[in-house]
Formats: sequence, C-alpha cells, structure tokens
Amino acid sequence: MAHDDLRSFLDTLEQEGQLLRLTEEVLPEPDLAAAANATGRIGENAPALYFDNVKGFTDARIAMNVHGSWANHALALGLPRNTPVKEQVEAFAARWDVFPVAPERREDAPWRENTQEGADVDLFSVLPLFRLNDGDGGFYLDKAAVVSRDPEDPRNFGKQNVGTYRIEVIGTDRLAFQPVPMHDIAHHLRKAEEAGEDLPVAITLGNDPVITIVAGMPMAYDQSEYEMAGALRGAPAPIATAPLTGFDVPWGSEVVIEGVIESRKRQIEGPFGEFTGHYSGGRRMPVIRVDRVSHRTNPVFESLYLGMPWTEVDYLVGPNTCVPLLKQLRAEYPEVQAVNAMYTHGLMVIISTAKRYGGFAKAVGMRAMTTPHGLGYVAQVILVDEDVDPFNLPQVMWAMSAKVNPADDVVVIPNLSVLELAPAAQPAGITSKMIIDATTPVAPDVRGNFSTPAKDLPEAKEWAAKLQRLIAARS
Amino acid sequence: MPLPDDPTICPRCAFETIDRLATSPVPGVWDVLQCRQCLYTWRTTEPARRTRRDAYPDQFKMTVADIENAIEVPAVPPLRRAG
Repeated sequence: MAHDDLRSFLDTLEQEGQLLRLTEEVLPEPDLAAAANATGRIGENAPALYFDNVKGFTDARIAMNVHGSWANHALALGLPRNTPVKEQVEAFAARWDVFPVAPERREDAPWRENTQEGADVDLFSVLPLFRLNDGDGGFYLDKAAVVSRDPEDPRNFGKQNVGTYRIEVIGTDRLAFQPVPMHDIAHHLRKAEEAGEDLPVAITLGNDPVITIVAGMPMAYDQSEYEMAGALRGAPAPIATAPLTGFDVPWGSEVVIEGVIESRKRQIEGPFGEFTGHYSGGRRMPVIRVDRVSHRTNPVFESLYLGMPWTEVDYLVGPNTCVPLLKQLRAEYPEVQAVNAMYTHGLMVIISTAKRYGGFAKAVGMRAMTTPHGLGYVAQVILVDEDVDPFNLPQVMWAMSAKVNPADDVVVIPNLSVLELAPAAQPAGITSKMIIDATTPVAPDVRGNFSTPAKDLPEAKEWAAKLQRLIAARS
Repeated sequence: MPLPDDPTICPRCAFETIDRLATSPVPGVWDVLQCRQCLYTWRTTEPARRTRRDAYPDQFKMTVADIENAIEVPAVPPLRRAG
C-alpha cells in the first residue's frame, strides 16, 4: 500500500510493531538525539521513535528513526517487514524499470491549513528544534526534501530537483545550507549565482516515506524524483503547488518552507556530525532567507540522528545508492551482477561481475568512479566474481584474502574528486581512489592457481531458501 | 534581541554579544541563545559541555581567524557577462 503522507506511514509502523511511543517527559537535549543514536546500537530491526512530551514545549511532536531499520525500509516500500536486504534491493531495482510514473496533482494539501509570511516567519514557533551531536554548531533540518528548479530551464519538470541537504537554523527566518558541488541543487545555484540572481527553494519536512527515499537517491540530473517515487510506490506520487515559489512539492508534507538562497553570499556554518562518522569543520556556506512557512495543524517534526555508522541515514540511502549504480553500470556492462554501495553512501562500493576478458573487472571499477554519483563518492571499489554475493561480507573477505595479489590487483589513482565531507580527502574535495580486483584472473591475464575451486553443491541454493522459510515461519 | 544584563559569553568563540532566538513555550524553562559572531546556537538547559566556555571542548572552539578563513562550499562562481 502506498503511503501519501508521514502520518499514515507512522500508523503502519505502529500496526507492525515498528513504532515506539515515548510518553515520559524527556529533555530536548541530550535525550532526543541520544535515544535515536541508541536505535543504531540495538539491532538492525530497531523501531521508529515518537516523542510528544518534551520539556519546555507544549505541543511538540517529533518522529525519529522512521527509516532506521531494514524492517522499516521494507515497510516504506510496501514490502513485508522481514524481507531480506538483498530482496529489498532487487525489488527496488525491478520497480525502477517502471520509471517514469507521472505524478498526480492535488489541490487540497493539508499544509495549507496554517501560514506565516514575511516578518511573521518564526521557525522556532513551528518546529521543536534541537541539537544532535555535542560539537554541532546549532540545530538542523536534516531530513527535508528540498525542491529547486534549473534557472535556465525552469519549466523542465525532469530538471526540477528534489534532494536532501543539511540545513542549519541560524535565525528565526534564516537557514544555512550545504549544496555539495556534485549534487543537483549545486548546479542550480551555480547558474543562478553566475547570473547574480537568488535561487528560490521550497523545503518540505515530514514527507511520505518514499519521497524521502528518492530525495536521498543519486538519480540523473534530468530524471524526476516524483516520477521515480511513482514507480517505487506503484501509484502516482501526490504533489501540490507551493504558494510562493510555484514549485511542485509533496502533497502530504507536514511543513513547507519557501524562500531563496541569497545570491553570492556565504556565512559560517557547522560543524555538523556527518554520515561519515566525523564532524565536518566550520565552512562558509550559502544562506537561505525564509519568506513563507505553510504547515499542518500540530505538525510532526521528523528528524534523523546521524553520526558514527550505522545510523538511520545508512538504512535510508544504502539501497537507494546501490540501485542507480547497478543500473548505470549494467547499461554498458551487462556482466555486472550486483552492487553493494551501502557503506557511507558509497564511499566504498563492492561490485560482483562476470569477466569478458583479462582486466575487465578493473574497467568496471573505473566506470563506477566516473558515474555521476561516483564522481563525488566511490573512493574504493572491490570487484568480486559473479558467484560472490557483494552483500555477504564474509564471502567478500574470502575473495579479498584468496584472490588478491596486491602488486597486480590493487590500483591507486591520485587526485580525483570526492565530496568535501570525506574525512580522508586532502585537500578537501580531492582524494586518491583505489580499485581492489578480487576476481579470478581470466585469459589473457593468466596468473595464480585457480583451476580447482570448491563450489557450493547444486542443491545448496534450494536448501538455503527452504531453511530461511522455515526460520521465518518459526518467528 | 540583545541580552545586556546577561553575563553569558559564547561557549565556542568567547564573543560577548549574544541574542535570544527563542524562549520555551512553557514559560521559564529554557531559552535558545545564539552568538552574533560565530552563530553558535544553544539551549540554556543543555549540558555544560555545550553551554559553558570553561567546559566547552577545545577541538570545537573557534577563533575570528577560523571564521574569516573558513573555506567556501561551494565557491562563489564568477559573474557571467551579458552577451
């Protein structure tokens, strides 16, 4: 069943035993972040958290860890809660093939119920803002879907971007904003700033679970996130027109914030405990002036804890990073079997592939680094054979330990691009990248002694499925 | 608004001009304060390691030079000439 808003998804999570309501009074800091931090340490099927009794607030409603487990990720895609990870990624990839599915425009968006404009805008009066990590520079909106348009082609629906970026609240009506240069909104901003113009944006908070997934997904520049949401939901994505910018925004959002990124201005922002498990340093970043806030009555504020992996963001962007890389690689190299890009948003990627000829796997690794997402991530690639499951890390480690001759199979390429947040980059934005070819050499690359491998018994695959069914039925 | 009678200094950069961004909907529980120099923002009920200069971790402290010399992300591009 497709969910049209966050509230209906929270209902589903509760019915499935995947929502924990915390009714005792908690402190905004450090309790909210600490509780969400803890969900990443209590097992991979941790529940979402819902707080409505936060000290000093009268009507705060805060949802965290909504996507933060494999069970929740499966439910977001309308799959059974116990769907294995590899099957979730395969289902995701199969639905991709239905893209594009046109969205459905609706006029009765519930966020039209309340409005603040101009001098009356006060984000603190709408949102129960709070800090996540000790060293954060302030309070963040870190799970929004931000909508912007290409200033040189504003009517192009595909080039309208829906993306997730870190946003610091630096005033009652001001935000600091991080567009990573490789991301789509950075292209929009560059074009606007080259012309000396502000870039309008619509920031939508508390969205349906699939909008959040596509907003964090590395899609091609001219592919519509709304049309992908429709493919993943199995039903058109409901959208509405934002009143100030005229942008297409999710119908079901809790809050819609509209304003502009002020042209050619940078202001101190951060640090912020990032998905890399490290703080980014203080940087001078773009600034947003908020001109209008629309919101549901009693909005639910959805936030996400991130810090040392694994946290919610890893469950959120893990599968949605695997699938674009899989599709983009397979477009040219159908030998590619599977892609595991679930570690730190794909800074490290494991690819299983068949080989055409000697040296082929290394070429697949280089291609991964030159995909649109790879330009800013994919600093390390491990290639494994077609019969190795890249999601099965013990199998991957076996391939690494048994098949790699370091002098021939490890390739380091200096001074390539990476996002500035990568902690190992030097200088920020530049790194060396590495390919580890853990595939079996094939002719004319004749090396090693691989002629007598021990293979799984022919019946083992069927037995594995049978045992999994029996175990699932028992629980 | 400025807090002229409040001795608070910024825990992060020691600047002495602090604004109040918000106050708790339940009166008297907390305020959200912000340094006008480095924009560090904190709630008065947070632990001392986030609210007091003497307890604030050294690795997160910031100087005027840190603020002025921080790299721009993304860099401001050159203006495009008409025609």
